[in-house]
Amino acid sequence: MKYLLLYAGDETAAGLAVTEETAAQPEEECGGPWAQELRERQIHQLTGGRLMPTSAATTVRTAGHETLVADGPFAETKEQILGFDVIECADLDAAIYAASRHPVAVLGGTVEVRPFLQGA
Amino acid sequence: MRYLLLMWNEQDSAGALEAEPEAVGAEAEPCWMPWAREMDQRGVLLDGGGQVQASVPAATVRAAGTGVLVADGPFAETKEQMAGYQIIECGGRDEAVYAASRHPVALQGGVVEVRELLAG
Repeated sequence: MKYLLLYAGDETAAGLAVTEETAAQPEEECGGPWAQELRERQIHQLTGGRLMPTSAATTVRTAGHETLVADGPFAETKEQILGFDVIECADLDAAIYAASRHPVAVLGGTVEVRPFLQGA
Repeated sequence: MRYLLLMWNEQDSAGALEAEPEAVGAEAEPCWMPWAREMDQRGVLLDGGGQVQASVPAATVRAAGTGVLVADGPFAETKEQMAGYQIIECGGRDEAVYAASRHPVALQGGVVEVRELLAG
């Protein structure tokens, strides 16, 4: 089964905020130990990425032939979306385990676990 | 530049991405194929994406402190829910916003959030 892990948290909080230092950090350094631990449990990270802060976000809708563009993320929530991973594993329990071990969850953020549609 | 497009829509609306191949016959192409062709012609690279199942079976995981807290449902209690994602690579924000505005989710009344990915 494939799952989307969506990381959310306070983008200004220590550890979660994007700084010059963390932005320059290679992906393998921040998510590497986590991905390695998962591999040992037959959970595979297929893709993923970290996002620029929501100050760089744009939200797009259309109404008829008109395109409506707004600055900022879609959902004005206390926690902001920080990044995502796509994993492949046996079942929801394994996906929840992967979520619980991710640095964002450990640092006080939230991980939303969403199964993909079959064949998607 | 790489961008994450996050699609949000009302999950029970007729505008949801209903065109799973098996739902409309094996020969019919998925509803996002014309979009993919247009993006290809514009030189926008598509680098992975997918549709997730309705938010009902999602889990939300927190792991700060000692315990793991698992809750049902998505992290953002919004009318529209995250329905899928697409990673694109293109020249800049304007091109990413254009790609978002042409996506079936945006054309069918949903919202597309454009988020720049951190390099690396």
